[in-house]
Amino acid sequence: MIEKEQQQIFEDWLSQHKGLIFKIVRAYTFTVVEQDDLFQEIIIQVWHSVPKFRGEASVITWLYRISLNTAIKWTKKERKHYQSETLEGVQHILQESRMQTDERLIWLYEEIYKLDEIDRSLTLLLLDGFSYKEMASIIGITESNVGVKINRIKKQLISKSKKHDHYGI
Amino acid sequence: MEFEELRKIWDAQNDQPLYAINEKAMYNLILSKKKQAHRITNISELLIIIVYIITGSFVLGMNLFDQSSNISMYVLCAWMLGSAFFMLVNRIRRINGDNQFDRSMSGDLDHAISVATYQVRISQIMLWNILPIGALTILSLWEGGKPIWIAMVVLLFFALSYYAGGWEHNIYKRKKRELEVLKNKLDNAG
Repeated sequence: MIEKEQQQIFEDWLSQHKGLIFKIVRAYTFTVVEQDDLFQEIIIQVWHSVPKFRGEASVITWLYRISLNTAIKWTKKERKHYQSETLEGVQHILQESRMQTDERLIWLYEEIYKLDEIDRSLTLLLLDGFSYKEMASIIGITESNVGVKINRIKKQLISKSKKHDHYGI
Repeated sequence: MEFEELRKIWDAQNDQPLYAINEKAMYNLILSKKKQAHRITNISELLIIIVYIITGSFVLGMNLFDQSSNISMYVLCAWMLGSAFFMLVNRIRRINGDNQFDRSMSGDLDHAISVATYQVRISQIMLWNILPIGALTILSLWEGGKPIWIAMVVLLFFALSYYAGGWEHNIYKRKKRELEVLKNKLDNAG
Protein backbone atom coordinates (compact mmCIF):
# COMPACT_ATOMS: atom_id res chain seq x y z
CA MET A 1 0.00 0.00 0.00
CA ILE A 2 1.41 3.37 -0.97
CA GLU A 3 1.59 6.07 1.70
CA LYS A 4 -0.88 8.38 -0.05
CA GLU A 5 -3.46 5.60 -0.10
CA GLN A 6 -2.83 4.87 3.58
CA GLN A 7 -3.27 8.54 4.41
CA GLN A 8 -6.54 8.76 2.48
CA ILE A 9 -7.99 5.71 4.24
CA PHE A 10 -6.83 7.03 7.62
CA GLU A 11 -8.45 10.42 6.98
CA ASP A 12 -11.72 8.76 5.95
CA TRP A 13 -11.76 6.55 9.02
CA LEU A 14 -11.01 9.43 11.36
CA SER A 15 -13.58 11.79 9.89
CA GLN A 16 -16.33 9.14 9.90
CA HIS A 17 -15.58 7.31 13.14
CA LYS A 18 -13.78 9.72 15.47
CA GLY A 19 -16.84 9.61 17.76
CA LEU A 20 -16.06 5.95 18.44
CA ILE A 21 -12.54 6.84 19.55
CA PHE A 22 -13.84 9.70 21.68
CA LYS A 23 -16.13 7.28 23.54
CA ILE A 24 -13.26 4.93 24.31
CA VAL A 25 -11.01 7.79 25.38
CA ARG A 26 -13.71 9.06 27.71
CA ALA A 27 -14.42 5.63 29.18
CA TYR A 28 -10.76 4.79 29.85
CA THR A 29 -9.46 8.06 31.24
CA PHE A 30 -10.06 10.35 34.14
CA THR A 31 -8.11 13.56 33.56
CA VAL A 32 -7.72 15.72 30.46
CA VAL A 33 -4.00 14.89 30.35
CA GLU A 34 -4.88 11.22 30.14
CA GLN A 35 -7.55 11.85 27.52
CA ASP A 36 -5.06 13.67 25.36
CA ASP A 37 -2.40 11.02 25.72
CA LEU A 38 -4.68 8.08 25.04
CA PHE A 39 -6.24 9.83 22.04
CA GLN A 40 -2.81 10.37 20.49
CA GLU A 41 -1.81 6.77 21.21
CA ILE A 42 -4.97 5.38 19.61
CA ILE A 43 -4.58 7.61 16.55
CA ILE A 44 -1.01 6.39 16.04
CA GLN A 45 -2.06 2.75 16.35
CA VAL A 46 -4.97 3.27 13.95
CA TRP A 47 -2.55 4.79 11.42
CA HIS A 48 -0.24 1.77 11.72
CA SER A 49 -3.19 -0.59 11.35
CA VAL A 50 -4.39 0.76 7.99
CA PRO A 51 -2.16 -1.46 5.77
CA LYS A 52 -3.13 -4.52 7.84
CA PHE A 53 -6.86 -4.04 7.27
CA ARG A 54 -8.11 -6.77 4.91
CA GLY A 55 -11.81 -6.00 5.03
CA GLU A 56 -12.67 -9.27 6.82
CA ALA A 57 -14.49 -7.28 9.51
CA SER A 58 -16.27 -3.94 9.18
CA VAL A 59 -14.23 -0.77 9.66
CA ILE A 60 -16.12 -0.05 12.90
CA THR A 61 -15.26 -3.50 14.30
CA TRP A 62 -11.65 -3.06 13.23
CA LEU A 63 -11.40 0.38 14.82
CA TYR A 64 -12.99 -0.87 18.02
CA ARG A 65 -10.48 -3.72 18.14
CA ILE A 66 -7.48 -1.43 17.65
CA SER A 67 -8.74 1.31 19.96
CA LEU A 68 -9.80 -1.02 22.78
CA ASN A 69 -6.54 -2.97 22.61
CA THR A 70 -4.61 0.29 22.78
CA ALA A 71 -6.74 1.60 25.63
CA ILE A 72 -6.31 -1.60 27.63
CA LYS A 73 -2.54 -1.65 27.11
CA TRP A 74 -2.37 2.05 27.87
CA THR A 75 -4.32 1.61 31.11
CA LYS A 76 -1.93 -1.11 32.25
CA LYS A 77 1.33 0.55 31.28
CA GLU A 78 0.96 4.29 30.97
CA ARG A 79 -1.74 5.56 33.27
CA LYS A 80 0.34 5.57 36.41
CA HIS A 81 2.63 8.21 34.90
CA TYR A 82 -0.21 10.72 34.76
CA GLN A 83 -1.74 10.24 38.17
CA SER A 84 0.41 12.86 39.87
CA GLU A 85 0.24 15.47 37.12
CA THR A 86 -1.66 18.68 37.70
CA LEU A 87 -3.88 20.17 35.05
CA GLU A 88 -2.74 23.76 35.41
CA GLY A 89 -0.87 25.35 32.53
CA VAL A 90 -1.26 22.34 30.27
CA GLN A 91 -2.67 22.76 26.78
CA HIS A 92 -4.60 19.84 25.41
CA ILE A 93 -5.41 18.71 21.92
CA LEU A 94 -8.74 17.29 22.95
CA GLN A 95 -11.29 19.66 24.44
CA GLU A 96 -14.50 18.53 26.01
CA SER A 97 -17.48 19.69 24.02
CA ARG A 98 -19.20 22.80 25.37
CA MET A 99 -22.57 21.33 24.56
CA GLN A 100 -24.76 20.50 27.52
CA THR A 101 -24.15 16.87 28.38
CA ASP A 102 -26.91 14.72 29.78
CA GLU A 103 -26.29 14.16 33.54
CA ARG A 104 -27.29 10.54 33.09
CA LEU A 105 -24.63 10.09 30.40
CA ILE A 106 -21.98 11.51 32.76
CA TRP A 107 -23.17 9.08 35.41
CA LEU A 108 -23.03 6.21 32.89
CA TYR A 109 -19.44 7.03 31.94
CA GLU A 110 -18.50 7.19 35.63
CA GLU A 111 -19.97 3.74 36.18
CA ILE A 112 -18.20 2.34 33.11
CA TYR A 113 -14.94 3.83 34.36
CA LYS A 114 -15.33 1.93 37.65
CA LEU A 115 -15.34 -1.43 35.81
CA ASP A 116 -12.13 -3.33 35.03
CA GLU A 117 -10.53 -2.92 31.59
CA ILE A 118 -12.20 -5.91 29.94
CA ASP A 119 -15.66 -5.23 31.38
CA ARG A 120 -15.29 -1.64 30.27
CA SER A 121 -14.63 -2.81 26.69
CA LEU A 122 -17.58 -5.18 26.77
CA THR A 123 -19.88 -2.47 28.09
CA LEU A 124 -18.90 -0.08 25.31
CA LEU A 125 -19.46 -2.78 22.69
CA LEU A 126 -22.75 -3.78 24.26
CA LEU A 127 -24.03 -0.21 24.32
CA ASP A 128 -22.99 0.22 20.70
CA GLY A 129 -25.02 -2.83 19.72
CA PHE A 130 -22.37 -5.46 18.94
CA SER A 131 -23.33 -9.14 18.97
CA TYR A 132 -21.76 -11.58 21.44
CA LYS A 133 -19.90 -13.17 18.54
CA GLU A 134 -18.41 -9.83 17.48
CA MET A 135 -17.53 -8.96 21.08
CA ALA A 136 -15.80 -12.33 21.52
CA SER A 137 -13.81 -11.75 18.36
CA ILE A 138 -12.80 -8.21 19.30
CA ILE A 139 -11.87 -8.95 22.91
CA GLY A 140 -10.46 -12.42 22.31
CA ILE A 141 -12.58 -14.41 24.78
CA THR A 142 -15.23 -17.10 24.18
CA GLU A 143 -18.84 -16.22 23.36
CA SER A 144 -20.10 -18.00 26.48
CA ASN A 145 -17.67 -16.00 28.60
CA VAL A 146 -18.98 -12.84 26.95
CA GLY A 147 -22.53 -13.91 27.83
CA VAL A 148 -21.71 -14.47 31.49
CA LYS A 149 -19.87 -11.17 31.79
CA ILE A 150 -22.57 -9.21 29.95
CA ASN A 151 -25.32 -10.57 32.20
CA ARG A 152 -23.35 -9.54 35.27
CA ILE A 153 -22.57 -6.08 33.86
CA LYS A 154 -26.20 -5.50 32.87
CA LYS A 155 -27.46 -6.45 36.33
CA GLN A 156 -24.83 -4.24 37.95
CA LEU A 157 -25.65 -1.22 35.79
CA ILE A 158 -29.42 -1.62 36.20
CA SER A 159 -29.08 -1.97 39.97
CA LYS A 160 -26.84 1.11 40.20
CA SER A 161 -29.13 3.11 37.91
CA LYS A 162 -32.04 2.38 40.23
CA LYS A 163 -30.06 3.74 43.17
CA HIS A 164 -29.11 6.73 41.04
CA ASP A 165 -32.80 7.34 40.22
CA HIS A 166 -33.70 6.85 43.87
CA TYR A 167 -31.36 9.59 45.04
CA GLY A 168 -32.70 11.79 42.26
CA ILE A 169 -29.27 12.86 41.01
CA MET B 1 -33.61 2.40 34.69
CA GLU B 2 -33.78 -0.62 32.45
CA PHE B 3 -30.92 -1.44 30.13
CA GLU B 4 -32.75 -0.20 27.03
CA GLU B 5 -33.04 3.22 28.65
CA LEU B 6 -29.32 3.24 29.33
CA ARG B 7 -28.75 2.44 25.67
CA LYS B 8 -30.98 5.32 24.59
CA ILE B 9 -28.96 7.71 26.77
CA TRP B 10 -25.80 6.25 25.24
CA ASP B 11 -27.07 6.57 21.67
CA ALA B 12 -28.05 10.21 22.18
CA GLN B 13 -24.37 11.23 22.39
CA ASN B 14 -23.84 10.15 18.78
CA ASP B 15 -25.55 13.38 17.71
CA GLN B 16 -23.13 15.61 19.62
CA PRO B 17 -19.38 14.94 19.68
CA LEU B 18 -17.82 14.54 23.14
CA TYR B 19 -14.71 16.47 22.18
CA ALA B 20 -13.43 19.08 19.82
CA ILE B 21 -9.84 19.14 18.63
CA ASN B 22 -7.90 22.11 20.02
CA GLU B 23 -5.92 23.37 17.05
CA LYS B 24 -3.75 25.73 19.13
CA ALA B 25 -2.58 22.91 21.39
CA MET B 26 -1.90 20.79 18.36
CA TYR B 27 0.12 23.67 16.91
CA ASN B 28 2.24 23.87 20.08
CA LEU B 29 2.81 20.15 19.99
CA ILE B 30 3.92 20.42 16.37
CA LEU B 31 6.32 23.27 17.24
CA SER B 32 7.86 21.34 20.12
CA LYS B 33 8.26 18.25 17.93
CA LYS B 34 9.82 20.43 15.24
CA LYS B 35 12.33 22.01 17.65
CA GLN B 36 13.25 18.61 19.00
CA ALA B 37 13.78 17.28 15.45
CA HIS B 38 15.96 20.32 14.59
CA ARG B 39 18.16 19.90 17.65
CA ILE B 40 18.73 16.22 16.97
CA THR B 41 19.46 16.90 13.27
CA ASN B 42 22.01 19.60 14.07
CA ILE B 43 23.87 17.46 16.58
CA SER B 44 23.93 14.38 14.32
CA GLU B 45 25.14 16.37 11.29
CA LEU B 46 27.94 18.08 13.18
CA LEU B 47 28.95 14.84 14.86
CA ILE B 48 29.13 12.97 11.55
CA ILE B 49 31.14 15.76 9.88
CA ILE B 50 33.60 16.07 12.79
CA VAL B 51 34.10 12.31 13.18
CA TYR B 52 34.72 11.78 9.44
CA ILE B 53 37.12 14.75 9.19
CA ILE B 54 39.11 13.66 12.27
CA THR B 55 39.31 9.96 11.35
CA GLY B 56 39.95 10.68 7.64
CA SER B 57 42.71 13.17 8.49
CA PHE B 58 44.18 10.79 11.06
CA VAL B 59 44.35 7.93 8.53
CA LEU B 60 45.85 10.27 5.91
CA GLY B 61 48.39 11.64 8.41
CA MET B 62 49.42 8.11 9.43
CA ASN B 63 49.84 7.08 5.79
CA LEU B 64 51.91 10.14 4.92
CA PHE B 65 54.00 9.82 8.09
CA ASP B 66 54.73 6.13 7.47
CA GLN B 67 55.15 6.76 3.72
CA SER B 68 52.81 3.80 3.35
CA SER B 69 51.95 2.32 -0.03
CA ASN B 70 48.75 0.76 1.31
CA ILE B 71 46.23 1.81 -1.39
CA SER B 72 43.18 0.74 0.65
CA MET B 73 44.17 3.18 3.40
CA TYR B 74 44.29 6.07 0.92
CA VAL B 75 40.94 5.06 -0.54
CA LEU B 76 39.57 4.81 3.00
CA CYS B 77 40.68 8.31 4.00
CA ALA B 78 39.37 9.71 0.69
CA TRP B 79 36.06 7.98 1.33
CA MET B 80 35.86 9.40 4.88
CA LEU B 81 36.72 12.95 3.85
CA GLY B 82 34.27 12.58 0.94
CA SER B 83 31.56 11.47 3.39
CA ALA B 84 32.24 14.55 5.55
CA PHE B 85 31.94 16.76 2.45
CA PHE B 86 28.73 15.02 1.36
CA MET B 87 27.27 15.61 4.83
CA LEU B 88 28.34 19.27 4.78
CA VAL B 89 26.67 19.84 1.38
CA ASN B 90 23.48 18.18 2.61
CA ARG B 91 23.50 20.30 5.76
CA ILE B 92 23.85 23.53 3.75
CA ARG B 93 21.04 22.45 1.40
CA ARG B 94 18.81 21.60 4.35
CA ILE B 95 19.41 24.98 6.04
CA ASN B 96 18.75 26.84 2.77
CA GLY B 97 15.50 24.91 2.32
CA ASP B 98 14.26 25.92 5.79
CA ASN B 99 12.63 29.10 4.52
CA GLN B 100 10.50 27.43 1.86
CA PHE B 101 7.63 26.65 4.23
CA ASP B 102 4.90 29.10 5.18
CA ARG B 103 4.24 30.01 8.81
CA SER B 104 0.85 28.36 9.01
CA MET B 105 0.26 25.35 11.24
CA SER B 106 0.19 23.13 8.22
CA GLY B 107 3.37 24.72 6.84
CA ASP B 108 5.15 24.18 10.15
CA LEU B 109 4.12 20.58 10.19
CA ASP B 110 5.19 20.09 6.57
CA HIS B 111 8.54 21.56 7.57
CA ALA B 112 8.86 19.20 10.55
CA ILE B 113 8.01 16.26 8.27
CA SER B 114 10.58 17.44 5.73
CA VAL B 115 13.27 17.56 8.46
CA ALA B 116 12.23 14.12 9.68
CA THR B 117 12.38 12.76 6.11
CA TYR B 118 15.87 14.24 5.80
CA GLN B 119 16.92 12.51 9.06
CA VAL B 120 15.56 9.19 7.84
CA ARG B 121 17.41 9.55 4.50
CA ILE B 122 20.73 10.61 6.06
CA SER B 123 20.64 7.92 8.73
CA GLN B 124 19.98 5.34 5.99
CA ILE B 125 22.92 6.59 3.89
CA MET B 126 25.21 6.65 6.95
CA LEU B 127 24.11 3.14 7.80
CA TRP B 128 25.03 1.92 4.31
CA ASN B 129 28.27 3.91 4.52
CA ILE B 130 29.46 1.66 7.35
CA LEU B 131 29.74 -1.21 4.81
CA PRO B 132 32.33 0.31 2.41
CA ILE B 133 34.26 1.85 5.33
CA GLY B 134 34.30 -1.51 7.10
CA ALA B 135 35.34 -3.33 3.91
CA LEU B 136 38.12 -0.84 3.17
CA THR B 137 39.39 -1.05 6.76
CA ILE B 138 39.51 -4.86 6.66
CA LEU B 139 41.17 -4.71 3.23
CA SER B 140 43.81 -2.28 4.46
CA LEU B 141 44.52 -4.49 7.49
CA TRP B 142 44.91 -7.48 5.20
CA GLU B 143 47.13 -5.47 2.83
CA GLY B 144 49.23 -4.32 5.80
CA GLY B 145 49.71 -7.94 6.91
CA LYS B 146 48.02 -7.45 10.31
CA PRO B 147 47.06 -10.52 12.40
CA ILE B 148 43.61 -12.03 11.80
CA TRP B 149 42.39 -11.33 15.37
CA ILE B 150 42.76 -7.58 14.78
CA ALA B 151 40.61 -7.91 11.68
CA MET B 152 38.05 -9.86 13.72
CA VAL B 153 37.92 -7.18 16.43
CA VAL B 154 37.52 -4.46 13.78
CA LEU B 155 34.80 -6.50 12.09
CA LEU B 156 32.96 -6.85 15.39
CA PHE B 157 33.25 -3.11 15.96
CA PHE B 158 31.70 -2.38 12.54
CA ALA B 159 28.96 -4.95 13.12
CA LEU B 160 28.07 -3.21 16.39
CA SER B 161 28.17 0.19 14.68
CA TYR B 162 25.83 -1.14 11.98
CA TYR B 163 23.44 -2.45 14.61
CA ALA B 164 23.49 0.86 16.52
CA GLY B 165 23.01 2.76 13.24
CA GLY B 166 19.98 0.63 12.39
CA TRP B 167 18.52 1.31 15.82
CA GLU B 168 18.99 5.08 15.35
CA HIS B 169 17.46 4.89 11.86
CA ASN B 170 14.36 3.20 13.29
CA ILE B 171 13.97 5.97 15.90
CA TYR B 172 13.95 8.57 13.11
CA LYS B 173 11.42 6.56 11.13
CA ARG B 174 9.14 6.34 14.16
CA LYS B 175 9.41 10.08 14.81
CA LYS B 176 8.57 10.81 11.17
CA ARG B 177 5.53 8.55 11.40
CA GLU B 178 4.30 10.42 14.52
CA LEU B 179 4.53 13.72 12.65
CA GLU B 180 2.61 12.30 9.71
CA VAL B 181 -0.09 11.13 12.08
CA LEU B 182 -0.25 14.64 13.53
CA LYS B 183 -0.57 16.04 10.03
CA ASN B 184 -3.49 13.70 9.39
CA LYS B 185 -5.13 14.81 12.62
CA LEU B 186 -4.70 18.42 11.59
CA ASP B 187 -6.18 17.77 8.15
CA ASN B 188 -9.16 16.13 9.79
CA ALA B 189 -9.66 18.87 12.35
CA GLY B 190 -10.54 21.41 9.71
